[in-house]
Amino acid sequence: MTPAPLVLDGLVVGAILFALGLVGILARRNLIVMFLCAELMLQGISVSLVSWSRHHGDWGGHVLVIFVLTVAACEAAVALVFVLQAFARTGRLDAAAWQSLRESNLPRTVDHELPAVDTVPPTFPRLTPAGVEPAVDEDALLEREHV
Amino acid sequence: MIASLLPAISPGTLLSAAVASTAGSLWLLLPRGQTGTAERASRWLGALLGVAALACFIATGHRLGGLGEEAVFLLVSLVAVVSGAATVVSRSPVYAAIWFAMTLAGVAGVLLVLGAQFLGVATIVVYAGAILVMFLFVLMLAQPAGLAPYDRVSNEPLLSAVAGAVLLGVLSLSIGRLTAEPAACCTMPSKASLAAAAAGPATAADPAAVGQAGDALANDHVARLGAELFGRHLLSVEVAGVLLLVALVGSVAIISRSGASDAGPSTTGRTAP
Repeated sequence: MTPAPLVLDGLVVGAILFALGLVGILARRNLIVMFLCAELMLQGISVSLVSWSRHHGDWGGHVLVIFVLTVAACEAAVALVFVLQAFARTGRLDAAAWQSLRESNLPRTVDHELPAVDTVPPTFPRLTPAGVEPAVDEDALLEREHV
Repeated sequence: MIASLLPAISPGTLLSAAVASTAGSLWLLLPRGQTGTAERASRWLGALLGVAALACFIATGHRLGGLGEEAVFLLVSLVAVVSGAATVVSRSPVYAAIWFAMTLAGVAGVLLVLGAQFLGVATIVVYAGAILVMFLFVLMLAQPAGLAPYDRVSNEPLLSAVAGAVLLGVLSLSIGRLTAEPAACCTMPSKASLAAAAAGPATAADPAAVGQAGDALANDHVARLGAELFGRHLLSVEVAGVLLLVALVGSVAIISRSGASDAGPSTTGRTAP
Protein backbone atom coordinates (compact mmCIF):
# COMPACT_ATOMS: atom_id res chain seq x y z
CA MET A 1 0.00 0.00 0.00
CA THR A 2 1.43 3.33 -0.97
CA PRO A 3 1.65 6.16 1.56
CA ALA A 4 -0.81 9.01 1.56
CA PRO A 5 -0.12 11.74 -0.99
CA LEU A 6 2.64 14.21 -0.21
CA VAL A 7 3.98 12.13 2.68
CA LEU A 8 7.16 11.15 0.86
CA ASP A 9 7.59 14.68 -0.46
CA GLY A 10 7.30 16.03 3.06
CA LEU A 11 9.90 13.55 4.28
CA VAL A 12 12.26 14.61 1.49
CA VAL A 13 11.82 18.29 2.32
CA GLY A 14 12.48 17.53 5.98
CA ALA A 15 15.61 15.58 5.08
CA ILE A 16 16.90 18.42 2.89
CA LEU A 17 16.36 20.98 5.65
CA PHE A 18 18.04 18.73 8.18
CA ALA A 19 21.07 18.17 5.94
CA LEU A 20 21.37 21.89 5.23
CA GLY A 21 21.31 22.65 8.93
CA LEU A 22 23.94 19.98 9.56
CA VAL A 23 26.24 21.52 6.95
CA GLY A 24 25.78 24.91 8.58
CA ILE A 25 26.53 23.58 12.06
CA LEU A 26 29.67 21.90 10.83
CA ALA A 27 30.98 24.64 8.58
CA ARG A 28 30.02 28.02 9.95
CA ARG A 29 32.05 29.70 12.68
CA ASN A 30 29.70 32.43 13.82
CA LEU A 31 27.99 31.22 16.97
CA ILE A 32 24.66 32.82 16.11
CA VAL A 33 24.64 31.35 12.61
CA MET A 34 25.40 27.97 14.14
CA PHE A 35 22.34 28.28 16.34
CA LEU A 36 20.27 29.38 13.37
CA CYS A 37 21.35 26.21 11.62
CA ALA A 38 20.34 24.17 14.67
CA GLU A 39 16.90 25.74 14.37
CA LEU A 40 16.92 24.83 10.68
CA MET A 41 17.51 21.19 11.63
CA LEU A 42 14.60 21.41 14.06
CA GLN A 43 12.42 22.70 11.24
CA GLY A 44 13.38 19.69 9.13
CA ILE A 45 12.47 17.39 12.00
CA SER A 46 9.11 19.14 12.38
CA VAL A 47 8.27 18.65 8.71
CA SER A 48 9.20 14.97 8.97
CA LEU A 49 7.09 14.47 12.09
CA VAL A 50 4.06 16.09 10.50
CA SER A 51 4.53 13.92 7.41
CA TRP A 52 4.58 10.77 9.52
CA SER A 53 1.53 12.00 11.38
CA ARG A 54 -0.26 12.39 8.06
CA HIS A 55 0.88 8.91 7.06
CA HIS A 56 -0.43 7.26 10.19
CA GLY A 57 -3.48 9.45 10.56
CA ASP A 58 -2.97 10.23 14.22
CA TRP A 59 -1.90 13.21 16.28
CA GLY A 60 1.38 11.97 17.71
CA GLY A 61 3.55 13.91 15.27
CA HIS A 62 1.64 17.11 15.80
CA VAL A 63 1.96 16.87 19.57
CA LEU A 64 5.68 16.15 19.25
CA VAL A 65 6.14 19.22 17.05
CA ILE A 66 4.47 21.34 19.71
CA PHE A 67 7.00 20.08 22.24
CA VAL A 68 9.80 20.68 19.72
CA LEU A 69 8.63 24.29 19.52
CA THR A 70 8.66 24.57 23.30
CA VAL A 71 12.12 23.11 23.69
CA ALA A 72 13.40 25.25 20.83
CA ALA A 73 12.20 28.37 22.61
CA CYS A 74 13.92 27.32 25.84
CA GLU A 75 17.08 26.35 23.97
CA ALA A 76 17.22 29.65 22.12
CA ALA A 77 16.81 31.65 25.33
CA VAL A 78 19.55 29.83 27.23
CA ALA A 79 21.87 29.53 24.24
CA LEU A 80 21.64 33.21 23.36
CA VAL A 81 22.49 34.10 26.95
CA PHE A 82 25.59 31.94 26.65
CA VAL A 83 26.44 33.54 23.31
CA LEU A 84 26.21 36.97 24.88
CA GLN A 85 28.47 35.83 27.71
CA ALA A 86 30.97 34.42 25.23
CA PHE A 87 30.90 37.69 23.32
CA ALA A 88 31.45 39.66 26.51
CA ARG A 89 34.53 37.57 27.31
CA THR A 90 36.22 37.46 23.92
CA GLY A 91 34.69 40.33 21.96
CA ARG A 92 34.01 37.96 19.08
CA LEU A 93 31.20 35.67 18.00
CA ASP A 94 33.80 33.23 16.75
CA ALA A 95 33.55 29.56 17.69
CA ALA A 96 37.31 29.28 17.18
CA ALA A 97 37.86 31.78 19.99
CA TRP A 98 37.09 28.89 22.32
CA GLN A 99 39.39 26.38 20.70
CA SER A 100 41.40 25.95 23.86
CA LEU A 101 38.51 23.68 24.89
CA ARG A 102 39.21 21.27 22.03
CA GLU A 103 40.54 17.75 22.35
CA SER A 104 44.26 17.59 23.01
CA ASN A 105 45.03 15.57 19.87
CA LEU A 106 43.25 17.92 17.47
CA PRO A 107 45.13 20.53 15.46
CA ARG A 108 44.69 24.19 16.22
CA THR A 109 42.55 26.37 13.94
CA VAL A 110 44.86 28.86 12.28
CA ASP A 111 43.41 31.93 10.60
CA HIS A 112 45.15 32.98 7.43
CA GLU A 113 45.24 36.50 6.11
CA LEU A 114 42.11 37.15 4.06
CA PRO A 115 42.00 39.34 0.98
CA ALA A 116 40.28 42.61 1.69
CA VAL A 117 36.65 42.94 0.70
CA ASP A 118 36.17 45.61 -1.93
CA THR A 119 32.45 45.93 -1.44
CA VAL A 120 30.93 49.37 -1.26
CA PRO A 121 29.23 50.11 2.05
CA PRO A 122 25.46 49.85 1.77
CA THR A 123 23.50 53.05 1.42
CA PHE A 124 20.44 53.39 3.57
CA PRO A 125 17.55 55.77 3.01
CA ARG A 126 17.54 58.92 5.07
CA LEU A 127 14.51 60.02 7.00
CA THR A 128 13.78 63.69 6.50
CA PRO A 129 13.19 65.45 9.80
CA ALA A 130 9.57 66.33 10.32
CA GLY A 131 8.20 69.13 12.50
CA VAL A 132 10.15 71.35 14.83
CA GLU A 133 11.78 70.46 18.09
CA PRO A 134 9.66 71.88 20.89
CA ALA A 135 11.18 74.28 23.38
CA VAL A 136 12.16 72.28 26.44
CA ASP A 137 11.51 73.79 29.84
CA GLU A 138 14.44 72.69 31.99
CA ASP A 139 12.66 73.39 35.27
CA ALA A 140 9.69 71.26 34.29
CA LEU A 141 12.05 68.39 33.47
CA LEU A 142 13.63 68.68 36.89
CA GLU A 143 10.24 68.69 38.58
CA ARG A 144 9.13 65.58 36.74
CA GLU A 145 12.28 63.67 37.65
CA HIS A 146 10.82 61.38 40.30
CA VAL A 147 7.30 60.76 39.07
CA MET B 1 -23.57 27.89 -9.72
CA ILE B 2 -20.99 29.18 -12.15
CA ALA B 3 -19.41 25.77 -12.29
CA SER B 4 -22.72 24.16 -13.15
CA LEU B 5 -23.18 26.66 -15.96
CA LEU B 6 -19.80 25.74 -17.39
CA PRO B 7 -19.64 21.98 -17.03
CA ALA B 8 -17.38 21.48 -20.03
CA ILE B 9 -14.49 23.53 -18.70
CA SER B 10 -11.97 21.45 -16.78
CA PRO B 11 -10.85 22.68 -13.36
CA GLY B 12 -7.28 23.02 -14.58
CA THR B 13 -8.31 25.38 -17.35
CA LEU B 14 -10.45 27.34 -14.96
CA LEU B 15 -7.63 27.66 -12.49
CA SER B 16 -5.19 28.69 -15.19
CA ALA B 17 -7.63 31.32 -16.38
CA ALA B 18 -8.02 32.57 -12.83
CA VAL B 19 -4.28 32.82 -12.32
CA ALA B 20 -3.69 34.51 -15.67
CA SER B 21 -6.47 37.02 -15.13
CA THR B 22 -5.22 37.81 -11.65
CA ALA B 23 -1.77 38.51 -13.00
CA GLY B 24 -3.17 40.63 -15.83
CA SER B 25 -5.40 42.62 -13.53
CA LEU B 26 -2.60 43.32 -11.07
CA TRP B 27 -0.35 44.39 -13.92
CA LEU B 28 -3.01 46.73 -15.20
CA LEU B 29 -3.73 48.16 -11.77
CA LEU B 30 -0.13 48.87 -10.84
CA PRO B 31 1.26 52.31 -11.69
CA ARG B 32 3.35 52.14 -14.84
CA GLY B 33 3.97 55.78 -15.59
CA GLN B 34 1.05 56.48 -17.91
CA THR B 35 -1.26 59.49 -17.54
CA GLY B 36 -4.75 60.72 -18.29
CA THR B 37 -7.17 58.60 -20.27
CA ALA B 38 -4.76 55.72 -20.68
CA GLU B 39 -4.39 55.38 -16.93
CA ARG B 40 -8.13 55.53 -16.32
CA ALA B 41 -8.82 52.99 -19.05
CA SER B 42 -6.22 50.56 -17.73
CA ARG B 43 -7.60 50.93 -14.21
CA TRP B 44 -11.13 50.08 -15.32
CA LEU B 45 -9.86 47.20 -17.42
CA GLY B 46 -7.80 45.95 -14.49
CA ALA B 47 -10.79 46.12 -12.15
CA LEU B 48 -12.94 44.20 -14.64
CA LEU B 49 -10.25 41.58 -15.06
CA GLY B 50 -9.94 41.33 -11.30
CA VAL B 51 -13.65 40.63 -10.97
CA ALA B 52 -13.31 37.97 -13.65
CA ALA B 53 -10.40 36.44 -11.76
CA LEU B 54 -12.42 36.34 -8.55
CA ALA B 55 -15.28 34.67 -10.39
CA CYS B 56 -12.92 32.06 -11.81
CA PHE B 57 -11.51 31.37 -8.36
CA ILE B 58 -14.96 31.02 -6.86
CA ALA B 59 -15.93 28.66 -9.68
CA THR B 60 -12.85 26.54 -9.13
CA GLY B 61 -13.09 26.72 -5.37
CA HIS B 62 -14.87 23.51 -4.56
CA ARG B 63 -13.03 21.52 -7.19
CA LEU B 64 -9.57 22.42 -5.98
CA GLY B 65 -9.10 19.29 -3.86
CA GLY B 66 -6.02 17.48 -5.09
CA LEU B 67 -5.50 19.79 -8.02
CA GLY B 68 -3.63 22.73 -6.57
CA GLU B 69 -2.24 20.84 -3.62
CA GLU B 70 0.87 19.47 -5.23
CA ALA B 71 1.69 22.69 -7.04
CA VAL B 72 1.37 24.66 -3.82
CA PHE B 73 3.47 22.09 -1.99
CA LEU B 74 6.16 22.36 -4.66
CA LEU B 75 6.14 26.15 -4.40
CA VAL B 76 6.37 26.40 -0.61
CA SER B 77 8.93 23.63 -0.31
CA LEU B 78 11.06 25.38 -2.94
CA VAL B 79 10.82 28.56 -0.87
CA ALA B 80 11.82 26.66 2.28
CA VAL B 81 14.72 24.78 0.72
CA VAL B 82 16.18 27.69 -1.27
CA SER B 83 16.06 30.08 1.65
CA GLY B 84 17.37 27.38 3.96
CA ALA B 85 20.40 27.06 1.72
CA ALA B 86 20.73 30.84 1.71
CA THR B 87 20.60 30.80 5.52
CA VAL B 88 23.53 28.44 5.61
CA VAL B 89 25.69 30.21 3.04
CA SER B 90 24.95 33.86 3.84
CA ARG B 91 28.09 35.74 4.78
CA SER B 92 26.36 38.27 6.97
CA PRO B 93 24.61 36.78 10.03
CA VAL B 94 21.84 39.35 9.73
CA TYR B 95 21.07 38.18 6.21
CA ALA B 96 21.21 34.60 7.49
CA ALA B 97 18.57 35.47 10.09
CA ILE B 98 16.36 37.13 7.48
CA TRP B 99 16.69 34.16 5.15
CA PHE B 100 15.79 31.94 8.08
CA ALA B 101 12.60 33.93 8.47
CA MET B 102 11.88 33.17 4.81
CA THR B 103 12.57 29.49 5.52
CA LEU B 104 10.08 29.64 8.35
CA ALA B 105 7.47 31.04 6.01
CA GLY B 106 8.13 28.17 3.58
CA VAL B 107 8.04 25.57 6.34
CA ALA B 108 4.78 27.01 7.63
CA GLY B 109 3.38 26.65 4.11
CA VAL B 110 4.57 23.04 3.95
CA LEU B 111 2.92 22.31 7.28
CA LEU B 112 -0.31 23.90 6.08
CA VAL B 113 -0.35 21.78 2.93
CA LEU B 114 0.40 18.68 4.99
CA GLY B 115 -2.70 19.39 7.06
CA ALA B 116 -1.16 20.84 10.20
CA GLN B 117 -2.91 24.18 10.26
CA PHE B 118 -2.25 24.92 13.91
CA LEU B 119 1.43 24.07 13.65
CA GLY B 120 1.87 26.23 10.58
CA VAL B 121 0.47 29.23 12.39
CA ALA B 122 2.39 28.36 15.57
CA THR B 123 5.63 28.18 13.61
CA ILE B 124 5.12 31.70 12.34
CA VAL B 125 4.06 33.05 15.72
CA VAL B 126 6.62 31.33 17.91
CA TYR B 127 9.62 31.12 15.59
CA ALA B 128 9.38 34.17 13.39
CA GLY B 129 7.65 36.26 16.01
CA ALA B 130 9.66 35.43 19.10
CA ILE B 131 12.74 33.30 18.57
CA LEU B 132 13.98 35.02 15.43
CA VAL B 133 13.49 38.47 16.95
CA MET B 134 15.57 37.30 19.91
CA PHE B 135 18.31 36.24 17.50
CA LEU B 136 18.20 39.62 15.82
CA PHE B 137 18.43 41.41 19.16
CA VAL B 138 21.52 39.43 20.10
CA LEU B 139 23.00 40.19 16.68
CA MET B 140 22.32 43.86 17.25
CA LEU B 141 24.10 43.70 20.60
CA ALA B 142 27.05 41.61 19.57
CA GLN B 143 27.72 41.92 15.88
CA PRO B 144 30.69 44.10 14.93
CA ALA B 145 30.33 46.55 12.08
CA GLY B 146 31.09 45.08 8.69
CA LEU B 147 31.99 41.50 7.90
CA ALA B 148 34.06 39.80 10.55
CA PRO B 149 36.87 37.55 9.29
CA TYR B 150 35.27 34.52 10.92
CA ASP B 151 32.15 35.16 8.86
CA ARG B 152 34.16 34.99 5.64
CA VAL B 153 35.76 31.60 6.23
CA SER B 154 34.31 28.20 6.99
CA ASN B 155 35.39 25.34 9.14
CA GLU B 156 36.36 22.51 6.74
CA PRO B 157 33.84 23.53 4.06
CA LEU B 158 34.51 20.58 1.75
CA LEU B 159 34.20 17.92 4.43
CA SER B 160 31.08 19.52 5.88
CA ALA B 161 29.38 19.76 2.51
CA VAL B 162 30.26 16.16 1.69
CA ALA B 163 28.95 15.01 5.06
CA GLY B 164 25.68 16.83 4.57
CA ALA B 165 25.27 15.56 1.02
CA VAL B 166 25.97 11.97 2.03
CA LEU B 167 23.46 12.24 4.86
CA LEU B 168 20.89 13.62 2.46
CA GLY B 169 21.58 10.79 -0.01
CA VAL B 170 21.17 8.12 2.65
CA LEU B 171 17.97 9.70 3.90
CA SER B 172 16.51 9.95 0.40
CA LEU B 173 17.44 6.34 -0.31
CA SER B 174 15.68 5.14 2.80
CA ILE B 175 12.68 7.35 2.05
CA GLY B 176 12.51 5.98 -1.49
CA ARG B 177 12.56 2.46 -0.11
CA LEU B 178 9.39 3.18 1.82
CA THR B 179 7.32 2.83 -1.34
CA ALA B 180 9.00 -0.39 -2.41
CA GLU B 181 8.43 -2.60 0.58
CA PRO B 182 5.15 -3.08 2.40
CA ALA B 183 5.79 -1.71 5.85
CA ALA B 184 4.19 -3.19 8.91
CA CYS B 185 2.78 0.17 9.88
CA CYS B 186 0.54 0.26 6.83
CA THR B 187 -2.00 -2.03 8.46
CA MET B 188 -3.39 0.74 10.61
CA PRO B 189 -7.12 0.95 10.04
CA SER B 190 -7.37 4.71 9.76
CA LYS B 191 -4.95 4.99 6.89
CA ALA B 192 -7.27 4.19 4.01
CA SER B 193 -9.78 6.75 5.14
CA LEU B 194 -6.96 9.22 5.62
CA ALA B 195 -5.86 8.76 2.03
CA ALA B 196 -9.42 9.19 0.87
CA ALA B 197 -9.78 12.37 2.91
CA ALA B 198 -6.46 13.74 1.68
CA ALA B 199 -7.55 13.29 -1.91
CA GLY B 200 -10.25 15.86 -1.36
CA PRO B 201 -13.90 15.84 -0.46
CA ALA B 202 -14.94 15.79 -4.11
CA THR B 203 -13.24 12.46 -4.75
CA ALA B 204 -13.96 10.78 -1.44
CA ALA B 205 -16.49 8.06 -1.99
CA ASP B 206 -18.40 8.05 1.28
CA PRO B 207 -18.49 10.95 3.70
CA ALA B 208 -18.48 8.65 6.71
CA ALA B 209 -14.93 7.52 5.96
CA VAL B 210 -13.84 11.14 5.92
CA GLY B 211 -15.58 11.95 9.16
CA GLN B 212 -14.42 9.05 11.30
CA ALA B 213 -10.75 9.18 10.42
CA GLY B 214 -8.25 10.79 12.73
CA ASP B 215 -7.01 12.84 9.82
CA ALA B 216 -5.43 16.23 10.09
CA LEU B 217 -7.75 17.85 7.59
CA ALA B 218 -10.79 17.63 9.82
CA ASN B 219 -12.91 20.67 10.39
CA ASP B 220 -12.43 20.82 14.14
CA HIS B 221 -8.67 20.51 13.78
CA VAL B 222 -7.60 22.63 16.73
CA ALA B 223 -10.22 21.18 19.04
CA ARG B 224 -9.09 17.63 18.36
CA LEU B 225 -5.43 18.57 18.60
CA GLY B 226 -6.12 20.24 21.93
CA ALA B 227 -8.05 17.22 23.16
CA GLU B 228 -5.11 14.99 22.27
CA LEU B 229 -2.58 17.38 23.79
CA PHE B 230 -4.40 17.91 27.07
CA GLY B 231 -5.72 14.35 27.25
CA ARG B 232 -3.05 11.81 26.52
CA HIS B 233 -0.12 14.20 26.85
CA LEU B 234 -1.20 16.22 29.86
CA LEU B 235 1.83 15.30 31.94
CA SER B 236 4.12 16.28 29.08
CA VAL B 237 2.44 19.68 28.92
CA GLU B 238 3.13 20.18 32.61
CA VAL B 239 6.74 19.17 32.16
CA ALA B 240 7.07 21.55 29.21
CA GLY B 241 5.72 24.37 31.36
CA VAL B 242 8.25 23.61 34.06
CA LEU B 243 10.96 23.52 31.41
CA LEU B 244 9.97 26.95 30.13
CA LEU B 245 10.02 28.34 33.65
CA VAL B 246 13.42 26.84 34.37
CA ALA B 247 14.83 28.23 31.13
CA LEU B 248 13.46 31.67 31.92
CA VAL B 249 14.82 31.74 35.47
CA GLY B 250 18.12 30.21 34.39
CA SER B 251 18.81 32.67 31.63
CA VAL B 252 17.92 35.64 33.84
CA ALA B 253 20.17 34.26 36.60
CA ILE B 254 23.11 33.76 34.25
CA ILE B 255 22.86 37.17 32.60
CA SER B 256 22.24 39.08 35.84
CA ARG B 257 25.18 37.59 37.70
CA SER B 258 27.57 38.73 34.99
CA GLY B 259 25.97 42.18 34.81
CA ALA B 260 26.21 42.78 38.56
CA SER B 261 30.00 42.89 38.49
CA ASP B 262 30.49 45.80 36.11
CA ALA B 263 27.39 47.95 36.52
CA GLY B 264 25.42 48.55 39.68
CA PRO B 265 21.64 48.85 39.58
CA SER B 266 21.76 52.53 40.56
CA THR B 267 23.60 53.72 37.44
CA THR B 268 20.71 53.70 35.02
CA GLY B 269 20.20 55.80 31.97
CA ARG B 270 18.46 58.66 33.77
CA THR B 271 21.67 60.20 35.06
CA ALA B 272 23.52 60.01 31.78
CA PRO B 273 24.73 63.37 30.46
